[in-house]
Amino acid sequence: MFKKKNRLKRKEALTAYGFVLPNFIGLTIFVFVPMVYAFYVSLHQWNALSPKVFVGFDNYVQMAKDKEWWHSVYNTFIFTIIYVPLLFGLSLFFAVLIHQLKSRYESLARTLFLLPFAITSVISATIWMFLYDPRNGFINQVLKFFGGHSQQFLGSTNQALISIIVVIIWINLGYNMMIFLASIKEIPTDYYEAARIDGATGWKAFRFITFPLLRGTSIFILVVTTIGSFQVFDQIMVMTKGGPANATEVSVLYIYKQAFEFLNMGYASALAVVLFIIIFVLSLTQLKLYTRKD
Amino acid sequence: MKVWKTLTVFLLALILALPLAACSSSKSSGDSKGIVTLKFWDFHTDAEKKFFQDLVKEYNASHPNVKIEMASFNQSDYTTTKLPVAFANNEGPDIFMVSPGGFTKFAQSGILADLNPYFKDGVKEDFLPSALDAVTYNGKVLALPFEMELLGLYYNKQMLKDANVEVPKTWEELQEAAKKLTTDQHAGIVLPTDKEPYLNFLWYPFLWQQGGDVISKDGKKATFDTPEVAKALDFWGSFFQKGYAPSKLQIGPTDIGNLGTGKTAMQICGTWAIPVLENKYKNVDVGLAPLPIPDGGKPATDAGGWKLAVNAKSKHVKEAADFVMWAFGSDKSRPLKWATEVKFAYPARKSVVEEGKSVYDKGLRKIFTEEIYDTAIPEPRYNPEIVDAIGESLQKVMFSDAKGSQVAKETNEKIQAALNK
Repeated sequence: MFKKKNRLKRKEALTAYGFVLPNFIGLTIFVFVPMVYAFYVSLHQWNALSPKVFVGFDNYVQMAKDKEWWHSVYNTFIFTIIYVPLLFGLSLFFAVLIHQLKSRYESLARTLFLLPFAITSVISATIWMFLYDPRNGFINQVLKFFGGHSQQFLGSTNQALISIIVVIIWINLGYNMMIFLASIKEIPTDYYEAARIDGATGWKAFRFITFPLLRGTSIFILVVTTIGSFQVFDQIMVMTKGGPANATEVSVLYIYKQAFEFLNMGYASALAVVLFIIIFVLSLTQLKLYTRKD
Repeated sequence: MKVWKTLTVFLLALILALPLAACSSSKSSGDSKGIVTLKFWDFHTDAEKKFFQDLVKEYNASHPNVKIEMASFNQSDYTTTKLPVAFANNEGPDIFMVSPGGFTKFAQSGILADLNPYFKDGVKEDFLPSALDAVTYNGKVLALPFEMELLGLYYNKQMLKDANVEVPKTWEELQEAAKKLTTDQHAGIVLPTDKEPYLNFLWYPFLWQQGGDVISKDGKKATFDTPEVAKALDFWGSFFQKGYAPSKLQIGPTDIGNLGTGKTAMQICGTWAIPVLENKYKNVDVGLAPLPIPDGGKPATDAGGWKLAVNAKSKHVKEAADFVMWAFGSDKSRPLKWATEVKFAYPARKSVVEEGKSVYDKGLRKIFTEEIYDTAIPEPRYNPEIVDAIGESLQKVMFSDAKGSQVAKETNEKIQAALNK
């Protein structure tokens, strides 16, 4: 009897591993191995065309003195600090709102919100470049119609980063909202019934029932959005190429410049490793902060 | 039952693994039965692309032991990631194009083959000295030039007349004109806005007109911290600071469509714009003038242009070099057709320039030939750190409140550091 139970368990475990294996192989080949290789390259000087030259940790020493690198890290942090809370707040807000709608309006709203997510990054960037045009863009035309002045948007060092943040939010709002919506729908309506009897509706219901029960989803969205905000590249490359005057040069763009414009593959790899460490530490911190033991 | 299950799973796994195997086997140029296959990568479009395709077809037909396969990519990818990544994986093309902006980057890495041994008799001397200098590195000729594209000031005659503005000849007049021509309907002048080699390309003449330059003649010392540079920087930046030039463009800065569609009254653009104006924008009355000069300055303009290069690590350097020489280093008809029919540019060879004399007098070309050609200085080919430093200095004077003299000083240090490396 004992032997039979063991064999069954082992068979189940084996099947489980079998299912995870393909994904794990994929991750290993396309994520873990390149990461290790990137660290290996970061210890060399390499222009992709001649053999690698071993330089130890010289690239990391150079990085410490690189003002433009730290400026790009600063830009990335500013981007993240503005983008993440905004996206979080807006997707939660709209999720709650749409949850109140009748089902056919809800389907329509969901589709509309998800449309931007379905467009390729380059096309969404191009669409917004037209909207933002300092002379003839639609946004400026609306502004002028209401008596305002034309804004430079992507042509201004002050407005460029915010303008790009708006675009990224526009793209990702629907997706994150859907995740929140799904989680909200899982909250048993009995809770709300009980709350209503006690006189807690509207904002109180949200604060004491909805939001606490969305804890897991919130943590997920915060961490994933933060990681994502460190990786924004396509839109910035198309819309400003990091300008004007490096106002929108985030770390990923600087790494790209070092790798493909200067052909400093070794240095770029070192920067990428450091960026990875920053994101990793940030994500761990977020998880530790938000996950209480309850 | 169980046998079928395992069999299906096994077959499925095999089918999924097949593409992986196929991917890795399609590597570099192979030879079958003594035929040499060469890869030629290009970025041109429309008529220019067709020219190269026809060239390849003609060569393949007349050379039975060589087969050239041409692939086209968009210019953005081509000038950034496509080539370095391909070369790094030993899957680069045998024949490709380089521009002055990217030349040093490739030359330093050793990926360009020396074409000296492949020149036919007398051809090397036929090339214009400045054109050949631009591709010579450590005594080796690392690419073959086939075009010189000059810059000029294009303008909309009607818009100038309506605003009562004369064609500007000096820097002051250009600023005044740009100011008067900036209206709600159109911009005063269109200049490049994003940081890229083309931005630098358009700015250099304003430095050269004063006799200044980025580095010394021997290439060892940075000469960026000078009043000439500061003046040229401030002059360039003023168009953006004062709003005469748009800070963001919908159509690329190389596209004369900015002028042709009435979005601007003036645009600094190159010889390549003339066929576009003649075909696409026939109804717009466009004029052309040499670039305005500062007080006490000399006329100067920039001469850019792409070059054909051979991959030094190719298995068939000789065959690839032979094609390059056949294309633009032998029969005059081919470089002539390129420079006069397919687009408008000046050939890099003296004999070809002679041949095409009749074309150079037609329409706006006449102005390039008579008033601009002699003042052309070839686009410099600085290494990418210097190109980037200059680009950053321009961005600073265009979009921040930094002064030209201060920016020139900071950039000079960067350039010197790059030269010392």
